[in-house]
Amino acid sequence: MAQMKLEHNGTTPAGTELYCLNMGPQHPSTHGVLRVMLELDGETVVKATPVLGYLHRGIEKLAEVRTYPQFIPYTDRLDYVSSMCNNLAYCQTVEKLAGIEVPERAEYIRVMMAELNRIASHMLFIGATALDLGGMTGMMYTFRDREYILDLFNLASGSRLTYSYVRIGGVMNDISAEFITLLRKFLADLPGMLTEYDNLINGNEIFQARLKGVSIIPAAQLVSLGVTGPVLRAAGLRDDLRVKRPYGIYERFHFNVPTGTVGDNWERYMMRVLEVGESAKIIAQALEGLPEGPVMAKIPKVIKPPVGEVYHANETPRGELGFYIVSDGTTKPYRLHIRRPTFYNLGSIETLCRGVKIADVAAVLAVLDPCMGEADA
Amino acid sequence: MQESASIWIGLGRALKKCVLDATGTPWLADFVHTLAGVVGILTLILLSALILVYLERKVCAWMQMRLGPNRLGPYGIFQTIADIIKLMTKEDIQPAMVSTVMWGLAPILLFMVAMTTYAVIPFDAGVIFADLNIGIFFFFAVSSQATLPMLMAGWASNNKYSMVGGMRSVAQMISYEIPMVFSVLGVVMITGSMKMSDIVQAQEGLWFIVTQPVAFVVYIIAATAETNRTPFDLVEAESELVAGPFTEYSGMRWAYFFLAEYAFMVGASCIAATLFLGGWHGPWLPGWIWFFIKVSAMIFLFMWFRWTFPRIRVDQLMSFGWKVLLPLSVANILVTGIGLWLFFPLS
Amino acid sequence: MYGIGLLKGLSVTLRRCFSKPNTVEYPEERLPVGPMFRGGCIDLNLDKCIACGLCAMACPNSAIDLTTEKSESGKKVMARYFHRLPVCMYCNYCIEACPTQAIHWTQNYEMSALQHADLIIDCMAGKGGSR
Repeated sequence: MAQMKLEHNGTTPAGTELYCLNMGPQHPSTHGVLRVMLELDGETVVKATPVLGYLHRGIEKLAEVRTYPQFIPYTDRLDYVSSMCNNLAYCQTVEKLAGIEVPERAEYIRVMMAELNRIASHMLFIGATALDLGGMTGMMYTFRDREYILDLFNLASGSRLTYSYVRIGGVMNDISAEFITLLRKFLADLPGMLTEYDNLINGNEIFQARLKGVSIIPAAQLVSLGVTGPVLRAAGLRDDLRVKRPYGIYERFHFNVPTGTVGDNWERYMMRVLEVGESAKIIAQALEGLPEGPVMAKIPKVIKPPVGEVYHANETPRGELGFYIVSDGTTKPYRLHIRRPTFYNLGSIETLCRGVKIADVAAVLAVLDPCMGEADA
Repeated sequence: MQESASIWIGLGRALKKCVLDATGTPWLADFVHTLAGVVGILTLILLSALILVYLERKVCAWMQMRLGPNRLGPYGIFQTIADIIKLMTKEDIQPAMVSTVMWGLAPILLFMVAMTTYAVIPFDAGVIFADLNIGIFFFFAVSSQATLPMLMAGWASNNKYSMVGGMRSVAQMISYEIPMVFSVLGVVMITGSMKMSDIVQAQEGLWFIVTQPVAFVVYIIAATAETNRTPFDLVEAESELVAGPFTEYSGMRWAYFFLAEYAFMVGASCIAATLFLGGWHGPWLPGWIWFFIKVSAMIFLFMWFRWTFPRIRVDQLMSFGWKVLLPLSVANILVTGIGLWLFFPLS
Repeated sequence: MYGIGLLKGLSVTLRRCFSKPNTVEYPEERLPVGPMFRGGCIDLNLDKCIACGLCAMACPNSAIDLTTEKSESGKKVMARYFHRLPVCMYCNYCIEACPTQAIHWTQNYEMSALQHADLIIDCMAGKGGSR
């Protein structure tokens, strides 16, 4: 590992020295194996350098030796907190390349699953942020409520975290009436859960004081860094792929896109809290309009897309997840590249952490909502 | 002052008489009497730490919709014993290049400070180890020594995280000493003396929490900061500094810090109960049971705060301490002084 | 008033402190896993199995290690069938690929072992011979 060169030759205007603190890959609040090398002047961060790669598993290379359907379980494990969204992005990319039409019922089910997963991911985010800032109780409540969603997914697909439920051409299997009943019950209980988080976490003055006014970056700079998702929307840019470049059947749903004004940590946090409500609206609308019909298109057993390349992106809870596939006409892709939102979001750590205190580094990492499985692939 | 009817005084006198009858030397009887007091306080601290470690985990679990320890013994009451056995049998790791003497002394000094502050706490009428006429001043003077061992631990550990934690602890404890002392000053002004038994006696009719509510709130906040409890636990902030100054300690050394932290918390609760909640006064039940109930209520309050609030940041902590609590406590002194002058003019 | 949020938070935790906990005391109590749960190892039904090998071909990680042989009547039967748990992703592709629904999950999630070799499950052990 190269020796870090300190800024200003390691001295400050006051004549004191800078020192390096390594928030290493093993750390309670780096959300996985992320390493941040901090250069500190007392308690103030002068420079923060993220080091990624501790969870690299070679998924993109593995894709070249797996067939298109066989790759779906690997996409589960990219951003393991929002598997449905990853599956959806990949399957839609392959369907775009191969020209496959998805039946209506499957489209509605896909939307419901993706939005449910968005709620689950944001609940985990709220809990993890509360934990990183010291309020461990908040985490327990959000994880408890997330269990309802995981039970729903268990009912539908058999798995609680890595579903591989969305398949090329439709979904794995149909949802039962029990699923719909439980889903309606969950949607009815959701406002109560959100009120509890409001009282315990959002409304807490200490929590707000920790996040408000910290790390304000203008939207233009974030765009040049490649940041997408709620972090960008907090800075004032109404940039949501479900609205800008709708995929699937998202044009048919009416929902707001929460947008911030100031772009500090508090707004990055509140964007996701507000998005939970919006996702609940989408699910309710999808439940109303759920048609009957098959859930899987008639596709050949062996999928051989035509020669060509395609890029398609979805709006996952972390930002724009894009798949770029180059096909050479065989059953396995020639090259598959994943545009992973966390990777680009983490690139903005250096900008966000300039001049903040050590405690704020933990807060910044928390509100960026990184998932290291996705950052390293 | 009339003779105290407390059971503990009776026990002490019986012990003294026993030794006197057995040996006939009065100084030996006095010595044994004092030793019994020391042993009593030590037992109290260790027992309370034992119970509190278990209770903290249980209360934490109930607030988080969980069960807490329930495997060892009925309702898990032997959990602390298992923890102690584990800590005692752990390998004593001393990292390379620590300043051995400072590093080793820090936990001992901290625990010593915690123990010494119990000398002036009135558990019952007359059941006070040393009824100094600077009682409350003694408590604050000794408890402010806790800053040094934390700094020693942070510095001597040869670890950047520990050093940051140690620096934070100095800033925090010094900043919140002053509002804490000033909040108590109002009580001392009303009583007219710093003797603990006088302060308790002055609350026979009306508890000081009624006449000094602002001082009570300031004291609670400052005591939470002094004992390094959430929301002011950024010294040992788990999610940033992994354990602050205590990172490099393992086994019994770490247990000392832990014990000292609980001893401080119980000590702060005892002072709050003595100064604001009427000490050992209460109907029907003996005084020390009332004292125990009041201290338990205060401890529950501290635990409640810990498991609800997130952590505050170091610069916010400093600005809150100096810009909000200090003016508030000074204003309290002013209002108390004016009130005393209006209602009790000096003749 | 500044501090109202703090008091609301305190009331939330106090209310939860005195309400029923959500703990399921494992291993005395266990939550039901549902009919579709993917867990444990593969349960092979030799009566339905036609030894086509589609499950092994569908698996992305080659977790199924099987060899077939021809029986006396000339039909294909299963000779060896090993399910390698260390590489299995529980993606369900093998179960879905089987044309006769001869394989299912055992749904026994308590599969930890002390030796690596104990995780390579012989799915044909204890079952009757070939058809």
